[in-house]
Amino acid sequence: MKRILVVLLIASLCLSVFAQGAAEAPAKPQEIRVLLANHPYGELLKAAIPEFEASTGIKVNVESLQESQLTQKLTTEFATNSSTVDVFMTRPLQEGLLFIKNGWYAPLDKYDFTDYPGASVDIGRKDGKAFIVPLVIEWQVLYYRKDLFAQAGLKVPTTLAELENAAKVLTKDGIAGFGSRGKGAAAVTQFSSYLYNFGGLYLDKNVAVFDTPAAIEALRYYGRMLGTYGPQGIVSMSWENLMPVFQAGKLAMWTDASVFLGQIVDPTKTQIPAANVGVTSLPAGPKGDSPFIVTSWGMGMSAKSQNADAAMKFLNWATSKELAIKGMLTNIPMARNSAWKDATVQKGMNPELIATQAHAAKNGYPLDRPFMSAVGQARDLIGEVIIEAINTKGTSTKLQALATEKVNAVNELLKKDGEYGGK
Amino acid sequence: MRKSLRFRIGFPLLVLAIILPMLFPFVWMLLSAFKTQVDIISWPPKFFFSPTLLNFRKVISEQNFMLYLKNSSIVAFCAVAFSLALGLPAAYSIARFQQKKLSVLILIARLMPGISFLMPWYIIFSRLGLMDSYIALILSHMLIALPVVVWVMSAYFESIPREMEESAMVDGATLQRAFMTIIIPLSVPGVVTATTLSFIFSWNNFMFSQVLSMQKTRTLPIAVYNFMSYAEVDWGGVMAAAVAIMAPAIILTMVFQKYVVKGLTMGAVKG
Repeated sequence: MKRILVVLLIASLCLSVFAQGAAEAPAKPQEIRVLLANHPYGELLKAAIPEFEASTGIKVNVESLQESQLTQKLTTEFATNSSTVDVFMTRPLQEGLLFIKNGWYAPLDKYDFTDYPGASVDIGRKDGKAFIVPLVIEWQVLYYRKDLFAQAGLKVPTTLAELENAAKVLTKDGIAGFGSRGKGAAAVTQFSSYLYNFGGLYLDKNVAVFDTPAAIEALRYYGRMLGTYGPQGIVSMSWENLMPVFQAGKLAMWTDASVFLGQIVDPTKTQIPAANVGVTSLPAGPKGDSPFIVTSWGMGMSAKSQNADAAMKFLNWATSKELAIKGMLTNIPMARNSAWKDATVQKGMNPELIATQAHAAKNGYPLDRPFMSAVGQARDLIGEVIIEAINTKGTSTKLQALATEKVNAVNELLKKDGEYGGK
Repeated sequence: MRKSLRFRIGFPLLVLAIILPMLFPFVWMLLSAFKTQVDIISWPPKFFFSPTLLNFRKVISEQNFMLYLKNSSIVAFCAVAFSLALGLPAAYSIARFQQKKLSVLILIARLMPGISFLMPWYIIFSRLGLMDSYIALILSHMLIALPVVVWVMSAYFESIPREMEESAMVDGATLQRAFMTIIIPLSVPGVVTATTLSFIFSWNNFMFSQVLSMQKTRTLPIAVYNFMSYAEVDWGGVMAAAVAIMAPAIILTMVFQKYVVKGLTMGAVKG
C-alpha cells in the first residue's frame, strides 16, 4: 500500500512539473494554426504565407499532411474537443457532412460566395448556412492516345457506343484498349458518370437507387468494358495503378478525374510524348451527358477557433481571387468562376482541358459518390457490385439481386444516421 | 561429420527459398530509390538502369529530413533510456519476487491497440499544453518500449542464478548494489536485445507520432507520407526516404548484434 502511495506521489510531482511547462507558454492573441493538405494548392499557400504574415502581422503556424492523415488528425482533434486548429483544408464530399453534423465547421455568414457555382457551395450548406469555401474542382474526362487513334483510323468517341467500338479496335499488341478504376470502393467515383449517362443515380432524394434498370445497364456496360478490354488485374486497380500503365504506353484510353493530365504529359514521369496524349469530355450515354464535376477540396474554419477574426482574415486571403488565378496558372483547376475567365489563364492552359471543363460545368452532376455521412461504408458496398460486374464481364445473372441487396444495406446506413429520405 | 549430397544441395536452396520473398521487397525498394519516375513505372521492370541520386537529394533538401532525423533520434533514444531506467529494476523485481500479476498487467498495456490510448492522451497532452513537445512523444513511445524491456529482461533475470546476488550480499553489498554491479553487467546481452527491439519499435512507430506531433516534432515515418500528395505519388522519393529511414536502424542493429554474440560467448567461457 505504502509503495503505491509513493508511486502516486512521484507521478503527481512529475505531472506538476509538466504543467508548469504549459503555464509558461501563454497563447499569443494574433497567432493561428492552419492545417493544409499535401496538395499543389497547399504548397502554393505555404509559399505565399510569409506575404500574408507581413501584411497583417498575424503569425501563421502551418502544418501540411497527406489527405487521409489530415482527416484522421482533424477528427481526433475535434472529437476530443481540444483542438487548436483555426483554419483547415477539407474534402467536402468525404468528410463534409459528418463535420457539419457534428458542428465542427464555423458558419461562414460573412463570406462572399457570389463568385462560386451555386451547386459547389450547396454541398457544404445546412439549414441555409454555408460552412465550406470551395477551393479546387475536378471532373471526369477521357484521356486517349492520339497516335494510336490515328494509326487505327478512329475518331475520338463522343458516345459510349463509340467508346466500346474504339476499345475493341485498340486492344492489341499487349496494349489494353480501355481502363478506368476497377478497385471496388475507389471505382465508385469514376463509375458515377457512367451511371448518370445511363440515367441512373446512387441516391435519389437520400434513398439509394442504384438497382434500377438504368443503373444495372450502366453496371453491365462498365463491367463489360473493363472485363473485356481492361488491363490485367483491373479489379485491384485504382488511379495509382492505372496511371503508370498509361504512362508506360500500355493503355489506349483511360477515364478518370481531370487532375492527372499534368502528370501524364510530364516528360520526367511518362514515356509517351506529350503530343500523343489527348483529353476530351467523357462520351455521352444513351440517357445523359453528365460527367461528375465536384469540389474535391474546400476550406473551412473551426467552430472552436480562439482567434475567429484572424482566422477569417486568413480564410479570405487563402481563397482570394488573386491566389485562385495563381493556382490556375500552375494548372490547379479552381472553383472560382472568375478565375476561369481570366485572360492570362485562358492563354496558359491546355485548350482541350478548358473545353472539357466548360462541358462539365454546363452539363455535369455535382456529386461523384453517394453523399452521406457513412460514405466510406457505402462505397465499400457499391464497390462489391462493381467488382461482380467486372469479373463476369457484365454478364452476371446475380447482378440485379446483388445490387438490390446493397441498396437495402445503404438505405440501412442512411436510416441509422437519420439521413434517409426527405429533403 | 559428412553431410549427404542431398543436404548440401537442398539446404542452400531451402534457405534461398525462405529469404528470397523477404529480401525481394527490400531489394526492390533499394533499386527504386535510385531510379527516376519513368524507370520505376516502366514495364517490363528495369534491373539495369542509370542510377540517379535525385531522390535522395529531394529527401534531404526539400523535406527537412535532418529535422525529422533529429526528432526521431531524440524520441527513440530518450524513450529507450527511460524505459531501461524504469524497466530494468521492474523486470528484476518481477523475476525475483514472482510478481506475475504485475507482468501480465504490463503485457496488457502492450496488447491493447495503441489507438485506444490516443484519444485520452490527446486530451491530456493538449490540456497540459504539451502538444508538439518531445515530452508527449517520449512518454507515448515509452508505452511501446517499456513492456518490451520488462518482458525480455524478466525472463533473462530469471535465468541468472539467485546465488549470484546472494554471495554479493554475504560480502556486504545491498540488494541495489548487487543489482547494479553484479546482475546488470551479467545481463548485457539481454539488455542489448531489449534495447535494440524497443529502439526499432519506437523508431518505426507511426500512429502516436502522427497524432501527437506537429510541425516541429514530426518524426521520420510521418515524413515518408510527404511524398504522397493528392492524386500524385512520388515513388522514387518514398523509396529513398524509406531507405534513409531504415539505414540508421539497420546499422544500429548490426553494431548491437556483435555485442549480443560477444556477450553470449563470454558467458560460455566463464561458465
